[in-house]
Order: sequence, then structure tokens, then C-alpha cells
Amino acid sequence: MQVYKAFFKIILKNRMQISIYLIVFIVLAVAFTASYTSPVSTDFTESKINIALINEDEDSVFLDGFIAYLTVNANLVNLPDDPQSLQDALFFQEVDYILRIPDGFSQDFLAGQTVSLEKTAAPNSTSATFMDLRINQYLNTAQTYLNYGNVVSQYELVSSLQNDFSNSSSVTLNSHTDESDSAEKMAYYYNFMAYSLFAILILGVCAVMLVFNDSDIKKRNFASPLKTLNYNSQLVLGSLSFAVLAWLLMVALSFIINSDFMFSEKGLLLILNSFVFTMSALSISFFISNLVKSRSAMSAVANVFALGTSFISGVFVEQVYLGDTVLSIASFTPTYWYVKANNAITSASSLSGSTLTDILTWIALVLGFGIAILGVTLVLLKNRKVEAR
Amino acid sequence: MVIKIKNLVKRYGDLIALDHLNLEVQKGEIFGLLGPNGSGKTTAINCLLSLLKYDKGEIEIYDTPMHPEAYEIKKRIGLVMQNVAVFNELTVYENIDYFCGLYISDKQKRRQLVEEAMDFVGIKDFRKFTPKKLSGGLLRRLNIACGIAHKPDLIIMDEPTVAVDPQSRNSILEGIQKLNAAGATIIYTSHYMEEVEQICSRIAIMDKGKVIASGSNDSLKEIIKTGEHISIEILNPQNLDLDEISDFANILSVDLSGSQLTIKSSRGKNNLIPILDLLKHRDIQIGKVFSEPPTLNDVFLEITGKELRD
Repeated sequence: MQVYKAFFKIILKNRMQISIYLIVFIVLAVAFTASYTSPVSTDFTESKINIALINEDEDSVFLDGFIAYLTVNANLVNLPDDPQSLQDALFFQEVDYILRIPDGFSQDFLAGQTVSLEKTAAPNSTSATFMDLRINQYLNTAQTYLNYGNVVSQYELVSSLQNDFSNSSSVTLNSHTDESDSAEKMAYYYNFMAYSLFAILILGVCAVMLVFNDSDIKKRNFASPLKTLNYNSQLVLGSLSFAVLAWLLMVALSFIINSDFMFSEKGLLLILNSFVFTMSALSISFFISNLVKSRSAMSAVANVFALGTSFISGVFVEQVYLGDTVLSIASFTPTYWYVKANNAITSASSLSGSTLTDILTWIALVLGFGIAILGVTLVLLKNRKVEAR
Repeated sequence: MVIKIKNLVKRYGDLIALDHLNLEVQKGEIFGLLGPNGSGKTTAINCLLSLLKYDKGEIEIYDTPMHPEAYEIKKRIGLVMQNVAVFNELTVYENIDYFCGLYISDKQKRRQLVEEAMDFVGIKDFRKFTPKKLSGGLLRRLNIACGIAHKPDLIIMDEPTVAVDPQSRNSILEGIQKLNAAGATIIYTSHYMEEVEQICSRIAIMDKGKVIASGSNDSLKEIIKTGEHISIEILNPQNLDLDEISDFANILSVDLSGSQLTIKSSRGKNNLIPILDLLKHRDIQIGKVFSEPPTLNDVFLEITGKELRD
């Protein structure tokens, strides 16, 4: 296993350059996932709207009770009763709702006659609809008491209504925000992994292959009794070990960040997807390593390829914000399908049926890229060998 | 027979790199392949090791046809390449261990062989150094150690002393003789005729992909007419008549270049004395005088009409 051992000694010699990408990944991934806040609000605060009340009715116990009810459910704003002032207040959103209680309202209501209140509000205002509901609720309840209850006086009516509406409900928001937060964090983490993995694999594999592809080293190896198949197998095994090691390190970190999620079905699918992507990235790195001729070219290719494919595939900017042309170009890279699968895994409400089929299809596409590029590399190597000899 | 090459032809397009090359190397020899740059020495070595496909011919090593999968034969061969072929990322020890490990799988035995190889080339003190920290001479020694650590029966050395200081060169040449004394057959290619003359028991002179002459150092010099090479520094050359010198017996050529008189003569006794007597008689003052036997350069010059170092 001389070649295999030399493979890792060369990797170790290049550890500084490779570590930079790993450290950047760890720092950024941890920082982003730790500071991530969900765009969905998770708390509830009761709020009141501002209303202007113009009372033209005579004083009565019922009217006082009604106004007291409005005071509890809205902020009453005092405005002069002139049309210009009222419209200005509505326009400048000083108030959301103007309620006018007409003369004889209480008397007619208590007499069981049909009554109406005048209201002015901005068109399609949800605040106005809310206020309508509140007022209707009060008047309908009062009507019910008057029709079916043994109410003998306005005091009793107002007291009963006060009693009814003093009951309040506590609000608890039941949602899946915790789980979706974790999923989005992990989607970001695993998407970002594509960039780091690509850069690390290109750098590592190229660094080793540059040495072993040196014509003099190659001649010396081929002049030895080491069989060609054995030699190639050790190089492939070295590349695989290196790739799996880098992948394991990154996956292990995701377990440290959120082990509950990673042990879930979605977490395991993310791991599967990232493993397939690692193999595909390795295949591309192997291809690039057979084209690159110098160390400076190696660094340039690692940066340009890893950054370029990551940008257009939605690693840094979500795919929904990217243009159709960009995404069309990106669809010729495995990173695009990897990110697409990651996003689908983490955003799916349930992993079954067509969702799962789509995800597995995209993972298969990533694998397909890897196999195709490996095939091209092998043909390239075979042709080169024939030319060289 | 260790090596037998028969009618080997290698073409690069229209260029014929090896033109029906024939060679035989016997066990225990230090066999020198001498020739100017581009004469086909390295191509011959690459074909011999099946690192290069050839168009025609047969190669046998240890009476077995050589081909890329002849792993049993490869086990018995050590290669020291013209260019230093080591891993810059590994230390001296790790480099020798790597190449030795391609032949010897036993770890303990390998450790001993690596130590012996470092000792042999004198780089034990630099075992933890990476090649980039070594001088040119030490790097060449490392290159040799990597090729010989597994104690091969046949060692092929392709210009191992190129760009090496004289001290390291002597040390390398002594080492080669020691390896030979220990039983190894050695093929040594070089364009430095002095090295080949110094260490090789048999020499093949190559030009344009062909062996133009082969034999021992002495036998090669016997096939040419030149037997003595006389150089005399003349202080007053205007009084010299070259025809008078040419008339002496055994004289093949006389040439005066500035104050340097060069005379080539065939084998014979006392070629120098009558010339010096004549110069004294004609009141010609002389400075330094050299009389040398012919070199391999003379052999090459006489056969090809050009200098070995052209």
C-alpha cells in the first residue's frame, strides 16, 4: 500500500491549504445556523385599533355600556365632528374607523326596532372588518338577551353583557415552526457543504495527482513490479478515503449542531444526498486533476469551479431568486440538483409519494453526473496512455 | 546473458530514434552507453524497461522477453533516472522507503535496506530532510538510493551525474563500482566520456540511434588510427614549417592554431622525441608539452567526423 500511504502523506503536506476551506465552512456554517431566525412570527400580542366615535344619541345606561365596551376593544380618539377633519384623520391613518351613533339609537334598539350605525372606514380594511364583527357581536348578544332573557332593566342588560365580554381567551400558537426552523438551518448547512466539499476535494485530489502524474515519478512507478491495476486501485482508494473522511467530518458537525433533526427521516435523506454528491464531486475532481498541470492552476480551478457552480446553483442565494437562464445553465452541474433535492427534503411536509420520488430522482441525477464524468475521465486516461506509449 | 536487444527500431513520426539497435550485456559488467545528447540512449533505456512502445525488434532480459507485465523481471531491476524522480512532499527516508516498498513488502527487511541505501550514498544525516532542502549533489544521491535500495541484480543508470559537482560525481562513480563489486550488473549511460572510460568494462558508442562501435575501452581505441595525441605550445610559431613535421614517420595530422601545435600520430615508439629535436634544431622555443593516448572522443571523432560534445 505504498501508493495509498504516499497519497495521504501528500495530503498532509497540503493540509494548510485544505484546512482553510474546512475552517471557513465550519465557521460560516455554525455562525449562520446559530444566528438564523425564522421569517415567520412565533408570538401573539393583542392590539387595538383607533376609532373616532361621534355620539348623537341621548345618554342612557345601555349607551354608556356600549361605549364602555368600545373603549375596551378599541382606542377612542376624540375628533371634532366636521367632515373634513374626520376624512383627514382617516386618510392619515390617525383612526381606522369612524362610528356615528345616531339620535334615538338606544331607544329604538331597546324597543326591538331595526337600527343602524353609520361607519366610515378605508376600503378593504381588515381593521374595519374586525370592528364590525365586534360591534355586531355586542349588539346581537344584547338582542338575544332582550328577546329570550329575563332582563328587566338596562342595568341588568349592561351588567350581563359586561359579564359575558369580560371573559378572555388565552392564545397559544400551534405551528410547526420549531421543526421548520431546524429544517431550514440544515438545508442551509448542507447546501453550503457543496461549496466546501468541492473546493476541498479538487485541492486534495489535484495536489496528489499532480505529483503522481509527474512523468518521471510515473516512469519510476511503471518500471517497478507494481501492477498497473494495483497502482490505480490504490490511487482510487486513497481518493475515496479522503472524500469520505471530508464528508464524514462535515456530516458529524451537522449532528453536533442539530442531532434531533439529523436522526429524523429528513436528516437521513440529507445525509444520503450529500454522500452521493460527495462521490460526484470526487469524480469531477479526478477529472480536473487530470487536466491541471500546475499548483497555481489547481488553486484557481478549485476556487473558480467551486464558487462558480455554487453561485449559479443556489448555494449562496436561494434558487427561487435566480433567473431562469442562470438556473438552466446550473442544471448542467450536479450542485444544482443537489441543492434542489436538499431544499425539497427540508421543505416537504411529508416524505412520501411524488415528493419522495422527485427527491430520489434528483439524487439519482447527481449520481448520474458522477458516473458520466468518471467515464469521460477513464476514456481520457486511456487515450493519454496510448499516446504516451 | 543479462540483456539482449535485437534490431530495435523506434520512430517518432519521421524521426528514427533507434535504428536497428543491437546490444548484449553480460552478467557482472558495467556496460557504458556513450553518445552525444539525442543519440538515443534514453530512448533505448525506456524501450528496454517497456516504458516506451517500439516499432520493431526484440528485447530479452535474463533470457525472458521483456514486456510491460513482466513483473518478475522488473523485480530484479533498479532504475536511476536522468531527472531526479522523487516526491518533494516526502522526507529522504520516506522517499527511499516508498520506492523500496514497490519491490519489498516485508517492513522489517525494508527498514534495513533503506538504512543501508542511505548509508551507501552518504545521506543518513539528511534522513528527515525533504528533497527541496537538499543540495544538487545530495539530491542525485537520493535519486540513486531510491533506485538501488532493494538491491537489484540489474541497475540501469541514465546519466546519474548530470549537473553534479566533481566531489559528488567521484563519490557516485565509486558507489557504482562498489555495487558492481557486490554482484550487480550495471548499464550506465552518459555523454561524459571520462566517466565511462573510468568505470565501464565494456562500452557501446551510440550515434543517431545506432551502435557505431562497441568493446572494451582499449579495444575501442585500437580500432582507430590515432595512437598518440601530442600538444606543444610554440612561443615563436613564425619560424615553424609544418611540412617538416608531417614528413616524420607515423604522423597522421599536424595542425597549428595560434601558438598551439597539435599532432596526431599512429601507434609507435618515440613519436615525440624526433619532433622535439627538430624544433630545437630550428631554434623554436617551446612551452608546455603533452603526449596522451587517444580518448573515446577521438574514437567518436574518427568514426563520425564530429566531436562527442558537439
